Amino acid sequence: MFERPILPSAARPVDRITVMQGQALVSSEPHVEFTTVLGSCVALCLFDPEAHVGGMNHFLLAEPPPGMPVTAVDEHYGTYLMELLVNQMLGKGARKIRLKAHLYGGANVNRNMMKIGSANAEFARGFLQREGIDLLRSDLGGTAARRVDFRPASGQVRCRMVEDRLAPPVQPIARPALATGDVELF
Amino acid sequence: MTETTRILTVDDSPSMRALLNHALTSQGFDVSQAEDGIAALDWLALNEVDVVITDINMPRLDGFGLIERLREGSRHRDRPILVLTTESSEEKKARAREAGATGWIVKPFDPQKLVAAVRRVSH
Repeated sequence: MFERPILPSAARPVDRITVMQGQALVSSEPHVEFTTVLGSCVALCLFDPEAHVGGMNHFLLAEPPPGMPVTAVDEHYGTYLMELLVNQMLGKGARKIRLKAHLYGGANVNRNMMKIGSANAEFARGFLQREGIDLLRSDLGGTAARRVDFRPASGQVRCRMVEDRLAPPVQPIARPALATGDVELF
Repeated sequence: MTETTRILTVDDSPSMRALLNHALTSQGFDVSQAEDGIAALDWLALNEVDVVITDINMPRLDGFGLIERLREGSRHRDRPILVLTTESSEEKKARAREAGATGWIVKPFDPQKLVAAVRRVSH
């Protein structure tokens, strides 16, 4: 079911929701479609075929913390964005053992930049492998931008190449100010 | 003689356990790992520990349940338990506090802040 492409339908209109960089959205609503345009960023689509719950994130690994080599990426932040998606899925009734994954994006859109697209793709693949989540399909790498449409309740997905101008290349950024690992002792 | 601080990290994500293990062992801590609350209870029944660091969302027994179970008996009544979570709601933080957690750390964690918190609660 997860691998079926999205077919045109005359049924009731779709609620199309854009997944922005740094976001993770989850739904079990049949009329919801998540959509995103990816250059160097990667989108992970997760689906539980029994619970009929799906989710998509859109991430770009943050730049390394001070003192780390500039070729490294901030895995703490990447792991956090992945966990955010998985936890939201579990909160909607999904089971981790049943999760199926698709990965899209990770293009090296600007050849003069560090290969951040490849780093994002490698991180995402490694995460799924470590977590034991099945990767059913991936369309990663290259130099072209992609648009991904994903129906979370059915797991249907469509990925198309689009003009690069729709997904301007982005540099890795510092972690958002809110994501600083604040500690509160009771 | 200074004894090594023993930490049990409880998280269902192997990626997160690996990050925690690296962050803590590189600072000289003795780290053991459990994948959920039940595995943590099993491990704690046979081993001694100075600090527990636990996630909230886990299968079988979540972080709230783990803290409550540990606080029920006398052995772990005063054991420092730090919650490390993606949860940001005040309601869940309050629930952790009521269950007996010692502190609340929001992911993604900053290794230096985490180590400072562990040192503070273990002395």
